[in-house]
Amino acid sequence: MKKFLIGAALAALTAGSASAEEVKLQLKWVTQAQFAGYYVAQEKGFYDEEGLEVTIMPGGPDISPTQVMAGGGADVTVDWMPSALAAREKGLDLVNIAQPFKSSGMMLTCLKETGIKGPEDFKGKTLGVWFGGNEYPFLSWMATLGIPTDGSEGGVTVLKQGFNVDPLLQKQAACISTMTYNEYWQVIDAGLAPEDLVTFKYEDEGVATLEDGLYVMGDKLADPAFKAKMVKFVRASMKGWKYAEANPDEAAGIVLENDESGAQTETHQKRMMGEIAKLTAGSQGALDPADYERTVKILLGGGSDPVISKAPEGAYTLEITDEALK
Amino acid sequence: MKLLMFALAFWLGASLFNSWLAARFSHRRWAQLFVPALFGVTLLVLWEGVVAGFAISPVILPAPSAIVARFAQSTALLWGDFAQTILKGALAGYLLGCGAAIVTAIVIDRSPFLQRGLMPVGNFVAALPIVGIAPILVMWFGFDWQSKAAVVVLMVFFPVLVNMVAGLKATDHLQRDLMKTYSASYRDTLFKLRLPAAMPFLFNGLKIATTLALIGAIVAEFFGSPTRGMGFRISTAVGQLDMPLVWSEIAVAALAGSGFFGAMALLERLVTFWHPSQRAR
Repeated sequence: MKKFLIGAALAALTAGSASAEEVKLQLKWVTQAQFAGYYVAQEKGFYDEEGLEVTIMPGGPDISPTQVMAGGGADVTVDWMPSALAAREKGLDLVNIAQPFKSSGMMLTCLKETGIKGPEDFKGKTLGVWFGGNEYPFLSWMATLGIPTDGSEGGVTVLKQGFNVDPLLQKQAACISTMTYNEYWQVIDAGLAPEDLVTFKYEDEGVATLEDGLYVMGDKLADPAFKAKMVKFVRASMKGWKYAEANPDEAAGIVLENDESGAQTETHQKRMMGEIAKLTAGSQGALDPADYERTVKILLGGGSDPVISKAPEGAYTLEITDEALK
Repeated sequence: MKLLMFALAFWLGASLFNSWLAARFSHRRWAQLFVPALFGVTLLVLWEGVVAGFAISPVILPAPSAIVARFAQSTALLWGDFAQTILKGALAGYLLGCGAAIVTAIVIDRSPFLQRGLMPVGNFVAALPIVGIAPILVMWFGFDWQSKAAVVVLMVFFPVLVNMVAGLKATDHLQRDLMKTYSASYRDTLFKLRLPAAMPFLFNGLKIATTLALIGAIVAEFFGSPTRGMGFRISTAVGQLDMPLVWSEIAVAALAGSGFFGAMALLERLVTFWHPSQRAR
C-alpha cells in the first residue's frame, strides 16, 4: 500500500512533464501466479524502465478477455490460443504478439475408483469441463479420440463445471478439468492422495494447445507508435517472466501483494509459481510457428464440430518479439 | 449510411402516423393493438439502421436481422434449451414453490405462534443472494434441472407467501362473524369465504413469481449445468462471442416470460371475475 501511495504521488508529480505511455493489460483470470511475470515486471520497475505505465486488470469467471478487447477496454490481453482463434473466426481480429507459455498446463483429473485407466475408458462417464472459451481443447481432444460429447450413445456426458473441484469430490463427475498449477492442488488439499487420482495431461496426449499468450487487435498493429509500445511491453514483460522463473518465492510474494481480493494464500501461490515456471520454461517470448501450426491442426481436426472451420491467416506476428528480443 | 437514413425516416414517419392514429382511433380495438406493434417494429428498424450505419461490430451488438437468422437456424437447439430450463427447471420450481407457499400461508394463518416465528424465517430466506445459494444447491441436488428447480423454489416462495398471508387477512370481522352465525366450520369459512377473498392477493404474488422463476432458473445454470439450458447457452455463447445466439436466447426468455405472465393474468381473470378490478374492464 505504501509503495502504491508513493508510486501514485510520483505519478502525480511527473504527470505534467512525463510522457509515460499507458498500456492496459487484461488478464485471463484472477490475480494469481499464472500472471506472475506481469506483476513482477510492474513491481521490479521493468515497465518503468521502458517508459510504460501499465495497468493490470484482473479477470474472473464473469469476464471474457475477448469481449473486453472487442469493447476496446484493453490494449493487450492474455488469452489461450483456442479461444482467441475462435473469436477471430467470429470476426474479432485478435493477433498473437508473444507467447510466454511454451507448454500447456491443462489436464483431466479422474478418480481411480471409477476404473478409468486410459482415454478409451471415458465412454459412458461424466466429465467436467470449463466453458467460456476454455472448452475448445477438451472438445478437440474428444474429437480426435472419436468420442461424441453431445450425449449420444457411446459418448461422454459433459458437465459445465464451475471453477472449483466439487464435482470430483462429490463424485458427480468421474473426471474434471484441472490445471497443473491450480485445481489439481485443490483436489490434493481437499484430502485426496495423488494415488487416488489418474491424470491425463493434454501435453502428454498430444493434444496440447497453446495457452497464455499476448493478444492485441490487428488493426492497431498498423500504427507504428502502438507497435513500438508493444515491443517495449513485451520486452519488459518477458524480463518479468524470466525473473519470476528464477525467483519463484519472491514472485509469489509479489503476486500476493497485488491480490486485492485477498483470496490467495502463500503456500498455494508458491506452489503455483513453481508449476508455472515449468510451463514458461523454454519460451523467450517468441511464438514458435511449429507450436502454432500444431494448435491450429488440433483445433481444425474437430470431426463434426471443429473449433475453427478454416486455417486462420495473420493470427500471429513475430515482428514484435523479433524487435523486442534482439 | 443509407440504411441509417432510411431507419431515421421510418422512425419519423411511424411516430407521426402513430400519434395521428392515437389521436383519432384511440378507442378502437385494432388501433390499440396496431400502435404498440408499430412502435416495436420501429425500434427494430432503428436498431438495424444504427448497427449498419455505424458499422457496429457484431461482437458488441448484432443486428436484428442476424439474430433472426441465427434464431431460425437453431430452433432445435433453442427448443432443447427451453425445455430444459423453462419446462423442467422453472416450471417445476414454480409449482413446488408456490404450492408450498400457499400451504405455509394457511398454516401460518391458523397459528399465531408461527406468525411470529415463520415469517421472519421466510424473510431471511428471501434475503439470501442467489449467487451464494445456487452453487450450494448445485452441490446438493446435482447438475441437472433439479438444482435449478430448488433455486426457483427459494426465489418464488417468499413473495407468494407474503401475498397469501395478506390475502387471508383480507376478510373483515363482519364477514367472518356472518359465517359464524351460519355455524360454518373453519374449513367452510376457509374455502367459501377466505380463500376466494385471498385470490386477488395470491395472483399478485403468482404474477411476480413468474419472472422470478425464469431469472432463477437461468442464473442458476451459470453455476454448473449439463451442456444444455438457456443459462448454459448464454454463458458459453458469450465466451464464444456468438452474440446472435445469446440474443436469440434472450428473445426466447422474453417471449416465455411474457407468455407465462400473460397466462397467469388470464387465469386471474377467470378465477377472480367477481373482483371490482376485473369487472371494471
